[in-house]
Amino acid sequence: MDYDMGEAAAALRDELRRLVRENVPPDFLGAFTDDPADLAVAQKFCHLLAEQGLLCLAWPEEYGGRGVSQWEQTVVREEMWAHHEPRGAQYMGVNWVGPAIMRHGTDEQRRTHLPPIARGDVIWCQGFSEPDAGSDLASLQTAARRDGDGWRISGQKIWTSYATMAQWCFLLARTSRGEKKQHGITVFLVPMSDPAIEVRPIASMLGPHHLNEVFIDDLWVTEADVLGPVDEGWKVVQEVLAFERVGIARYARCERLLRLAPAVLGDRWEGLPAELRGRWARMLTHCRRARLLAYRVVALQGRGQVRPADAAAYRIAVTRLDQESAEVLAEIVSLAALTGDDAQRFARAVEDHRRYSVSATVASGSIEMQRILLARALLAAS
Amino acid sequence: MIIDLSDAALELGRLARRALDEAGGDRLVQIAEQEPDRRESLVAPVLAELGAWELDPRGSGDELEAAAALCRSAGWWSVAYPVAERLCRPVDLGAAGTVVVADVRPAGPLAGLGGRWAAVTLGGRRSLATPRPPAAAPRTSAFVVELDLQPIDDGGADSPGRAAGDAALGLVLPCWTLLGMLDRAIDLTRAYVVERHQFGQPLASFQGVQFQLTDAEVERSGVEELAKYALWSIEAGRDDALDDALALRLAAVEAAEVVFRVAHQLHGAVGFCDETALSWLSRFSQPLRRLPLGPSATLDQLTSRIGRHGLSGLFDAATA
Repeated sequence: MDYDMGEAAAALRDELRRLVRENVPPDFLGAFTDDPADLAVAQKFCHLLAEQGLLCLAWPEEYGGRGVSQWEQTVVREEMWAHHEPRGAQYMGVNWVGPAIMRHGTDEQRRTHLPPIARGDVIWCQGFSEPDAGSDLASLQTAARRDGDGWRISGQKIWTSYATMAQWCFLLARTSRGEKKQHGITVFLVPMSDPAIEVRPIASMLGPHHLNEVFIDDLWVTEADVLGPVDEGWKVVQEVLAFERVGIARYARCERLLRLAPAVLGDRWEGLPAELRGRWARMLTHCRRARLLAYRVVALQGRGQVRPADAAAYRIAVTRLDQESAEVLAEIVSLAALTGDDAQRFARAVEDHRRYSVSATVASGSIEMQRILLARALLAAS
Repeated sequence: MIIDLSDAALELGRLARRALDEAGGDRLVQIAEQEPDRRESLVAPVLAELGAWELDPRGSGDELEAAAALCRSAGWWSVAYPVAERLCRPVDLGAAGTVVVADVRPAGPLAGLGGRWAAVTLGGRRSLATPRPPAAAPRTSAFVVELDLQPIDDGGADSPGRAAGDAALGLVLPCWTLLGMLDRAIDLTRAYVVERHQFGQPLASFQGVQFQLTDAEVERSGVEELAKYALWSIEAGRDDALDDALALRLAAVEAAEVVFRVAHQLHGAVGFCDETALSWLSRFSQPLRRLPLGPSATLDQLTSRIGRHGLSGLFDAATA
């Protein structure tokens, strides 16, 4: 066995850390805050990554990527999430919208959409969830009906992250009703600037831009805006979700914050209750556990294998880690009287982590859905 | 990155599991309990046929991985024989095996076994260990006896790498045995909830049952990954192999608590009965879960050892 990711991955990690150090302010806690300067930081950072060929590393060379190994892609995921995702909302376009268009798009769609994603110029949002279609996504009701040589779409989406700032939406709509609800769903690539689309932000504990409602009222799109075969969008979505099988490297931010704690607390660290330091040690073990579970999924993907049970087990472990580590960190911060810039910065990062971690077991596939997937795989093996 | 055991190690593990099955499978532990004098002769020759006792886990990564695979298979059948401890034998003392012991009340699963045994503490102090006569029947002791120790050296001041290595190996291989037990507990439970019907449907169709099983499986699969990592840490001669071993042990004993609680709950009353393999597996998992240290004491040791620098990972204090 060998748990060394190799020289290329190590060099990439060093390079990403240097770029973050030199271009992202130490106070940065993500692009989506009340301060527009944070979004500007992310946009600038994306352009910088794009110029250096680091934004779409995993893409094939013909589309502006470097076709790097799955381990280098893992490094990018880890470093970006650990440092509060300085790519802002770009990861969505890079990680799965782009690959979905490469695989299912027409030449025209590839020409239209891939270069702006590769340059870091465009933000995509995901029009999936609806008021009555959350975990049960295939029950979605947003409807597209044929009208001449195009389609008219009406309906409502909800929980749509970044919809206020996105230029494009990867939208799911029902185009027919088959025997199964998974049949008759189609993917549309729609411009968010169309007046038929109205976005209403939802105030939440996660902060601005994370949650929105999207109302679509008689949106006209053409055949050229359909991605993949009509009525077979569910298959496209399944593939899209496969790109995201590992998803966010939540363990990386958890580990970074946990590792920072003793340094920030200085001499006060030993004054913490022994039980709390024990919980801290356990969380570091759980960080490693989640990371290794992610690596198992990545290694299998590298061999062209998909085991849904492994991905689900990882997601259950990592989302629980996110919440449990947030509780430990919040208690550490509350017990130590933190003064000084570094300490205050750390306290703000912990507060941000704690608040955002509440959504970990809900967003991008709830923990219940992951348990259902894992149970299905386990029981099928009997 | 290579995150799987070698093909040869995996194949040896498969062969061992099959050979132990053919030698009696679940009956092995039952016979050992009824006829304690046979516990060695039931298992040791079967593994000897596969060359187990010629393996030198300290000699090469391949042999270390093979030893781990053997331990996992021994755990699957809960063989009531200290396979991991024998595979950890020291190179220089002519002992049959090594047990890691706590600083107080040293004990190990060595009841009725002859030969010369070595013991090592987490601090690296080595002793020759003489098992005391059993104070209780195997049914309740699971062959654990207290040990009389005759000190050999003082904690490896002359050879700290060797001392930490002894302790790390002595912690990690038994965790592979425990992993095999967790594999089996999940497998037995999965089969049971599919087969057992209540309210006109299999237990497996109830989400309350499914979710307990999935949470147990997440714990088990986490141990599997940490076990490979800790093995690699020894294989690569890393300085923090003992920290990695303790992190594995913490996860393994805490996972065992979850897995066995769920396995018993989902088996219902039949899981307490000796007609089920779970009853035996559960009882004979106890020594591995309590010795040398249970969950709380393991956490104490880990916390104390890693201090403020933490476990190695993506970040250290300078890069975080």
